[in-house]
Amino acid sequence: MDQTISVGLGEQVVSKEAGVILVAFGLGSCLGIGMYDAAAHVSGLLHAVLPAQTNGADRSPKYVDTGIESLLQAMLKAGADQRRIVTRVAGGANMLLSSSLNNTFDIGTRNIEAARRTFARMNIKVYAEQVGGNTGRTVRLYVVDGRMTVRVVGGKEQDL
Amino acid sequence: MNEQHTEFDTKLFKALQSIAEEGIHNAVSGFSGLLGQTLQVSQPSVKLVPLANIPYINGGPENEAIGIYLRAEGDISGQIMMIIPYAKALELVDLLLEQPQGTTQELGSLERSALAEVGNQTGTFFLNSLAKMIGGEVRPSPPAVMVDMVGAILDIIVATNGGISDTVLLMEADMTNGDESVETNFWVIPDPATLHRIASMGG
Repeated sequence: MDQTISVGLGEQVVSKEAGVILVAFGLGSCLGIGMYDAAAHVSGLLHAVLPAQTNGADRSPKYVDTGIESLLQAMLKAGADQRRIVTRVAGGANMLLSSSLNNTFDIGTRNIEAARRTFARMNIKVYAEQVGGNTGRTVRLYVVDGRMTVRVVGGKEQDL
Repeated sequence: MNEQHTEFDTKLFKALQSIAEEGIHNAVSGFSGLLGQTLQVSQPSVKLVPLANIPYINGGPENEAIGIYLRAEGDISGQIMMIIPYAKALELVDLLLEQPQGTTQELGSLERSALAEVGNQTGTFFLNSLAKMIGGEVRPSPPAVMVDMVGAILDIIVATNGGISDTVLLMEADMTNGDESVETNFWVIPDPATLHRIASMGG
């Protein structure tokens, strides 16, 4: 039986249960980063809020940079091998179109840039991404086969 | 130091509560004036909400809604966000444009500017009250209207506050009319940097 686990703001969940679907609902400027290792049957989803952690020693999943490190750590701990991990990214929208407001808040774009920097630094290849734009997204990661989907308002789930 | 903190918090909550009551009631009169009918408002409250709970306040992060957003700048700065469920927003547009209910089926540019006007009017009325209460100046930005998932809309609030704290301090009230075609959640989120000015407003 399928079980949906919601991955909330600043959270990450790693699972090996075939029936589990990891979901990050309604991502705006936030990023949903999914990782999957088919051979080890491990999937993980991160819901990061802000680009970079500026204080604190722990790697917090709230931030894109430390979140990616933390998700990868959790994947490896669950038996994944970094060389086999398939990484996908969705989110990072700019929700405010109003020209007088959006410069202040282009956190979506900054999140995407932070993710790219972190992937490059950690030698992580991104298999697929759907980032930017002006629409919110719900992201699902099916642990059974590592399929990741994206849904926008009024749309259907589409494979990423 | 702790005692000072407590005293500051008590003063701040008291000040915010009176701003919420007077400001939101004034905002409702602005909204009512625009509609030509009197809206009811729930008791405005001041809340400290954990960041992670923000997307769940309005019925769940994937619900489709309208967000009307504006910023306040001046002696006090912050954000105002109105959240309206999608179906209710269509009804509200019919009321605003004086059309029979059911006329509006989607939100084009005309409909969006009608909703922006709601933000303009309620935001200005709220901020006028606030300016009067603090004896200073506060200006609203032009409003932005978003049609999307609640979670995505509220990411704006989460992202702007998340770097500073794991909680969001907000003033909140629900606005409705008798036949329930209006259902609006009104939030005001003062910038953390501005809280000292609010607390020093005095009783």
